[in-house]
Amino acid sequence: MELSNIEKLLEKYFEGETTLSEEKKLKVYFTGESVPSHLEKYKDLFQFFSDERQVTTVSEVALSTNKNKKIPWYTWVGVAASIGLIVGLFMTNLLPGADSDQPPMLVMEHAEKGEYGTFNDPEIALQETKKALNLVAQFMNEGKRDLVYLNEFNNAKKDLVYLNEFEITKEKLIK
Amino acid sequence: MKERAFISLTNGFKDKLYRLAKRLLVSNEEAEDATQEILLKLWRNKKKMAEYKNVEAFAMTMTKNYCYDKLKAKEAGNLKIVHSNYKDERPSLQREIEAKDSLDWVGKIMDGLPEQQRMIIQLRDIEEYNNAEIAEMLGMNETAVRVALSRGRKVIRQELLKKHNYGIV
Repeated sequence: MELSNIEKLLEKYFEGETTLSEEKKLKVYFTGESVPSHLEKYKDLFQFFSDERQVTTVSEVALSTNKNKKIPWYTWVGVAASIGLIVGLFMTNLLPGADSDQPPMLVMEHAEKGEYGTFNDPEIALQETKKALNLVAQFMNEGKRDLVYLNEFNNAKKDLVYLNEFEITKEKLIK
Repeated sequence: MKERAFISLTNGFKDKLYRLAKRLLVSNEEAEDATQEILLKLWRNKKKMAEYKNVEAFAMTMTKNYCYDKLKAKEAGNLKIVHSNYKDERPSLQREIEAKDSLDWVGKIMDGLPEQQRMIIQLRDIEEYNNAEIAEMLGMNETAVRVALSRGRKVIRQELLKKHNYGIV
């Protein structure tokens, strides 16, 4: 293409008035070899534009994180069952012992009456605390009783002593 | 829409999203993240995709908005933008001689432009969209696009001339 033509196009280009096809012509011209020295400075510009077009992303799209995946119905049955279990456990613990004369009261009812389990008399507080701790200890012991069979482990382990024989012979072999 | 169809559709403009994000955010990693995020968002809304006239233009607009948010968050947090892939500002003598470096220089001039001009030059001169498409993507009118384009190009020319006359970066 003629030089004067290119210069005209360049002027238009900087005014933002070139069409896309004219800009393509400029790109072709300036990425070519025969660029006169006074236009050399624009070579970088157009070279840059065509180089930048080659830049690509390296990562692959991971679409597996599908948010609207359907949750099977039996999941909810499980959730409901566990909630029921937990609530049930707490309710039984909250009920006071059967030996008291008063009907069993829930924590909620205590709260409504303004009783939050606090005592003004330190003597009574101590006794109440002792009672509560006793209750805990009692349950602990009951629970621990069931764990006796864990001793079987130790017994079985004792029987495995002969495995040491292995070690001894192995060491001998290494020697 | 099936995953494969979606991927082949987005593969057509995935790189363009990435390049636009990179032009705005500069950092490679952040641009990768932005691309992933945009494609995931598209995938999640794939049911609505049929309503869009031009998915590519829509995705470009999403990318622009996403990057703006990112840039704004950075400003608000008073954080300095740190890029591991950002070249040293002070040029070494050896690098000046290399032809590649003068291309980096053009990139640096572009990074110095206001975001809007930077985007418009990216979309027009690199991605070769026409002004009407750019106007739609950026929510501007065509005249404003042309003016910003011309302004950005002139700044680049000025900087290039400066460099050319002094012979130094």
